[in-house]
Amino acid sequence: MREQSTRKMVYLSMLIAMGTALHVVEGMIPIPLPIPGVKLGLANMVTLLALYLYGFRDGLTVALLRVFLASLVSGTFLSPGFLLAITGAVGSTAVMALLLKHTRCFSMIGTSMAGALGHNLGQLFAASLLLQSSAVIYYLPILLFSGTATGFFTGYLLNSLLQQKSALPGEWYR
Amino acid sequence: MNRRSVFSLCALVLLLIAGLLSPYIFRSDIEYQSDQFLMDTLVSIKVYGEDQDLLNAAVKGAYAEMRRIAELADAFAKPETAAAQGSDVFRVSALAGKGAVRVSNDVMAMLISSKAYADWSEGAFDVTVGPLMKLWDFGGSNPHLPTPDRIKAAVKLVGSKDLVLNEQHKTAMLAREGMRIDLGAVAKGYATERALQVLKSHGIKKALIDAGGNIRVLGRNRQELPWRIGIKDPRKSDAIIAVLQLEDASAVTSADYYRGFESGGKRYHHILDPRTGYPAGQSMSATVVTRDAGVADILSTVFFVLTPDKALELAEKLEGVDLVLVTADRHIRHTASLEGKIAVQPDTGYHYDQGR
Amino acid sequence: MTKGDKILLAALTCLTLLSAALLYGRFFLPKESTRARQAVVSVRGEVVRRIDLPSSGKSSFQVQGRVGPSMVEVDGARVSMREAPCAGGICVKQGWIEHPGQSIACVPGEILVRIEGAALLDAVTR
Repeated sequence: MREQSTRKMVYLSMLIAMGTALHVVEGMIPIPLPIPGVKLGLANMVTLLALYLYGFRDGLTVALLRVFLASLVSGTFLSPGFLLAITGAVGSTAVMALLLKHTRCFSMIGTSMAGALGHNLGQLFAASLLLQSSAVIYYLPILLFSGTATGFFTGYLLNSLLQQKSALPGEWYR
Repeated sequence: MNRRSVFSLCALVLLLIAGLLSPYIFRSDIEYQSDQFLMDTLVSIKVYGEDQDLLNAAVKGAYAEMRRIAELADAFAKPETAAAQGSDVFRVSALAGKGAVRVSNDVMAMLISSKAYADWSEGAFDVTVGPLMKLWDFGGSNPHLPTPDRIKAAVKLVGSKDLVLNEQHKTAMLAREGMRIDLGAVAKGYATERALQVLKSHGIKKALIDAGGNIRVLGRNRQELPWRIGIKDPRKSDAIIAVLQLEDASAVTSADYYRGFESGGKRYHHILDPRTGYPAGQSMSATVVTRDAGVADILSTVFFVLTPDKALELAEKLEGVDLVLVTADRHIRHTASLEGKIAVQPDTGYHYDQGR
Repeated sequence: MTKGDKILLAALTCLTLLSAALLYGRFFLPKESTRARQAVVSVRGEVVRRIDLPSSGKSSFQVQGRVGPSMVEVDGARVSMREAPCAGGICVKQGWIEHPGQSIACVPGEILVRIEGAALLDAVTR
């Protein structure tokens, strides 16, 4: 038992570290368009994987800790961007967890896209509160578009990853 | 597939979307626009709100307020009418050199403000310019170019230092006989501002008042964006030279293309320089942007009369006041703090190098 | 990709296009000059006539104002006040108007001719 929980903790920590690294690195990629909030979302792969392997609680932990650490590293801790990232993470994790647990009709692709949708909606909601303006809704089509596209992409990557069983911790392949 | 959780998932998503859209769905504003002819011009008021009855009442109140002030200021009625006889301004002018007259709070406020600006602008703006205006007769049946002697004589009767105001007793007096008050450059802006305050007191959050070209906006427009206000090209009737993005602000223009007449091949417009008695000539139009419409009205006249350099210099010094000038030598110039709020149109035919 | 994935992808794409159309649609409407507009003539606040613009050819009609009749002329997409009983005749001198938001007012007669329709400007300070 102990071996398993240690292994789990180590693996989760690795996931969090990877998620943080992905988050920070992709934040450094300049986007030609002056649209904030559009990003590759690679770090969501990590969240989704954690959800897939260990369930909602651990998945949410990974997601939130990843956002915390990444913001500390980038120096954006407690900034508006940080708050948006938190709400986005909660939104996407909740959506993805629900889908993973109760449905079988989606692969990682669909789940990831739905997660992106949850992420964007969570962010828009928080932004509208922060800015006290309903004008943020003009962002919706852009976010939907980029969310669907990046969600598809990261889901596809994760699908491929899961086919390489060696990436997963011991108890998953016997 | 667990129906319940899919259902709750969908509910979650729909809830989020609804939360985002709710400002649009549940608070769909009604637009109400109304026009009335008063103060010798067309006054249009556009308001937004949820309750039609409230909008009606607010606009009605706003017009009533404007009418009330117009009557007091007597800037617009014909001298022989009963309306004029009853106005504060008429009575003060009638007793020039003889006695003080009790005036209403609004007229007192206008006079105090006017006197202060007359001082500040060193005479470039003066409400005691009545004798000159009467002489030129721009709004009357016989506008004409007066002789230099008569102009000189009329200029002698101008001078706000001879306008004696007693705030405690609420009286106003013109010290010398023959002096006369003309609130034409003051009343419309003041009335516009008061009308806006009436709208505000009814709880209106978005409004636009267009009083014959005096613009006063409240809040933002229907799309939650700043109101887009154009500045008219002084020489081309259908064109604008720039677009201002305003919220909670006024934009008032003084220019040489309204009243006036031609005589001997030359055009004389109705904004006189109180110091010379002749129409001011250094600018084609001066637009002032600031919060209070009354201040904007006065300042637009001040800056129109002053030379462009002096006007911009003074405008830069004033906090919360911006100025756009179209000078007589065809340059568009404006104060620095207007950056970001003004978009000068391309191909206007005027020179523009970032305003300076 | 599973069937669920494909359905979701299709749904999200539709949602994106729909929201884009709804939110951005107004900015891509055809240029104002070809959109349906109306010239609205009112006397003392009461609308007396509405003319769809652009109208075919030239036409003119009389409007009874407070101090006498005025003649309003419509020529294709533009409108002007041809004759007016007021002293200064400022309204006549204004010439033609054709853009939404523009108006010609005969103040003594209390006649207003305004072009209604979607406008790029909310007002013009003058």
